[in-house]
Amino acid sequence: MSPIRRDDAPPPTAARGFRFPAFLNRRCKNGLRIYAARVPKVPLATLELVFPAGGHWDPPGMPGLATLSASLIDEGTAGSSSLEIARRAEDLGGYLASYAEWDYGAVEVGLLASELKPAFDLLTEVATAPIFPEREIDRLKKLRTTELERRRFEPGTLADELLARVLYLGTPYAESPLGTIESVSRIGRDEALDFFSRHYPLGSATLIAVGDLDPEALAAEIEEKLGRSPTALAPPATEIVPTSRTGTTIHLIDRPDAAQTELRLGHAAVGRRHPDYVPLLLLNTLLGGKFTSRINLNLRERHGFTYGATTRLGGRLGPGPFAVSTAVATESTGAAVREVLFELERIRTEQVSEDEMEETRRYIMGVFPYSSQTLGDVAKRLEVLSIYDLPDDYYDHYLERIASIDRAELLSLAHRHIRPEEIAIVAVGPAEQVGPQLAALGPVEVVSQG
Amino acid sequence: MTATPELSFESHTLPNGLRVVLHSDRSLPLVTVNLWYHVGSKNEQPGRTGLAHLFEHMLFQGSAHVPTNGHFRYVQQVGGVANGSTSHDRTNYYETLPSAHLDLGLWLESDRMGFLLPALTQENLDTQRDVVVNERRQRIENQPYGQASERLYALLYPEGHPYRWPVIGTLEDIVGATIDQVRAFFRTYYAPNNAVLTIAGDFEPAEALERAEAWFGEIPRGEAIPPVVLPSYPNGRPERPEEERRDVFADAVLMPRIYIAYATPPYGSREWYVADLLSSLLTGGKSSLLYSDLIYDRQIAQEAGAWVHLGEAAGTFTLVATARPGVAAEEIEARLGGHLEQIAAGRIDAQALERARKRALTDYFGNLQRLDMRADLLARLTTYFGDPGGVARESEAYSTISAEEISHFVATWCRPVDRASLWIVPKDAA
Repeated sequence: MSPIRRDDAPPPTAARGFRFPAFLNRRCKNGLRIYAARVPKVPLATLELVFPAGGHWDPPGMPGLATLSASLIDEGTAGSSSLEIARRAEDLGGYLASYAEWDYGAVEVGLLASELKPAFDLLTEVATAPIFPEREIDRLKKLRTTELERRRFEPGTLADELLARVLYLGTPYAESPLGTIESVSRIGRDEALDFFSRHYPLGSATLIAVGDLDPEALAAEIEEKLGRSPTALAPPATEIVPTSRTGTTIHLIDRPDAAQTELRLGHAAVGRRHPDYVPLLLLNTLLGGKFTSRINLNLRERHGFTYGATTRLGGRLGPGPFAVSTAVATESTGAAVREVLFELERIRTEQVSEDEMEETRRYIMGVFPYSSQTLGDVAKRLEVLSIYDLPDDYYDHYLERIASIDRAELLSLAHRHIRPEEIAIVAVGPAEQVGPQLAALGPVEVVSQG
Repeated sequence: MTATPELSFESHTLPNGLRVVLHSDRSLPLVTVNLWYHVGSKNEQPGRTGLAHLFEHMLFQGSAHVPTNGHFRYVQQVGGVANGSTSHDRTNYYETLPSAHLDLGLWLESDRMGFLLPALTQENLDTQRDVVVNERRQRIENQPYGQASERLYALLYPEGHPYRWPVIGTLEDIVGATIDQVRAFFRTYYAPNNAVLTIAGDFEPAEALERAEAWFGEIPRGEAIPPVVLPSYPNGRPERPEEERRDVFADAVLMPRIYIAYATPPYGSREWYVADLLSSLLTGGKSSLLYSDLIYDRQIAQEAGAWVHLGEAAGTFTLVATARPGVAAEEIEARLGGHLEQIAAGRIDAQALERARKRALTDYFGNLQRLDMRADLLARLTTYFGDPGGVARESEAYSTISAEEISHFVATWCRPVDRASLWIVPKDAA
């Protein structure tokens, strides 16, 4: 038995490498792309059609159109009603769902691997020939409107939404992709069908198949059935320009009975395809993207202000937000804001230690296989390649890029991309106690809720 | 999903009583180290609630050879993830690491099992008490419907039952916790003979067993664990025919939400799997009974759910639905009860049951794609039933439960007299 020594961390044994699973990548005649990976771990599979049809493409004044249109796709075809579609998917041991995020819309089906053929047929029928029945539109609009009303009762959501409005007024990013009660009321069958016909052509789509399946055989069938007939192409993404900001601003929503303050501090950041995006992920991880990040250790472990604090980098087609999120004890609101600002200033003026750099690099590289375990994980990573048009060997180079970032590059990145001088500070809490604490930092705009 | 394979495992017991379960899977260069301690909030006493959970926080504050916050730092700097959780019945701790760092995981877990007390300081306790108070505010007090779960359990379980108080504890008990209570809690429950160590992933079993023995073998066995004395009830459940268990709580919410819950036989019993399959039949997918009736057809609910809690002392079978604006809570509660009556009367659609069965099985196996979930399942089976085998038995249950069994379950365990009803209603309307 090899001896143990408790006084220091034991050394590792020989490391084994990890590579992202091999996958087939084929472009069909009409432009449809196919990604297919065999992951035989469990007798399950997922098939997913991804389209350039996210909230990014919501027309001015119509936030919510992309997500509402997407949710209508699985609500009926000429041959099957909403519940019949659901039953057919569930008979295959799975589910079918259609939805949209900021950067894409998708129709996906999960299934027992033995049911690949009928699942593919169902997916094709639903994604290419939905009929958008009036009854289902009315029903989904009612559910959506209620959901939007309900969000006014969620302090974290209120804070997120106010931050978005401050940073992105006049752009699609100003509102939740779910839209507003007013905009949803104006969406009817014509608008939804029109959005669908422009944004869901197969020639602009990617079919992602992951699971216990044969990629070559499946790709041949997809190509035959979906890849030959020419289609129109979806409109490209337009540029989103954030509100121009000079100086810090402070915004407060009063919730007199709240037990805590929800806090957000943020500004616009670079998009997913910007060359600095990957190195910024490292910066974000070090600052607020893991338990041992600077901001979490400061606010939670050093001061006990909160159960947790995180930072997030938008990672969208457009310049999504960089934001710090936390919920803090009411009496510590002002102190927590000062600590966050201190950490943002510190990262852009002082070089990070080599130890802290190395810890963060190794964390990101180490968790990569952990977050590639399931069919869903692999499908998500293929989605990213498709939506942001990244090369097949992206994930190999991604890890190399993370490994290559040094302290000088990090400081220069932080200096350029972290901008405390134009940050928006948003708080949702009891104004009577929170207001004076924030007023010590600058003028406070009190915003009425909703 | 015809074959129901057992997860492969080896099971050993060290001389100090620690059970070691090994599940080798070399497909990814990852290893999970998972420790279950058979202690949760049901081992606490009223007036000292929340100790098991507060203690979970203290276990990340360092031990004799690991500095405060060193646990996360050591794990994250090699690319691992770590966490812990507390329930009524158990507390678990786990890290998933690149497989070259198996020793690191074993070092960290054995250090806090064997050498915690020297690092347990008043200062660390003060900080973590503040963190937990904020956790309680964030998750429970400042969340719409956040207080539902603790109110429902307090309603369903009578005085003397340990599921009556919340896992996170009451605010006054959290604030009042002393360092002596925390120390005594550790000495009583955090011993090798009250724990299961599960290692899953990329390793040779013989080697991993040798490492487990090296790191944990020298930790002395603790005293016998004080048993939890459960109140006994004439019909196996806390019936209270003399009083209606009903609570209406006004909260900052838009819509009333209606909960009905029943105390049922515990996790592991045949009835528990019946309740789980029934949950799938009621709300598992869009075609499920509650979704298609309340949300789709009648459009009286915004959402609906059903589940049975993985309780060792009792299962808690819960139905919930949120009333759409303008819909009375009474109507929703009546519909929920009506569905159960239909089922008790034997009206179960055969095809719907087959769909629910498939869904339950794909969910069960879908969850086992992740190494940490597999380790946690083996630990759960070992802690509660003394044997990591059980995957075949569990999946067999979902495959074989009949419509008659489901009807019988509802008729027996979900009678009106067994029910606790909780409505969370909008403040202004109250």
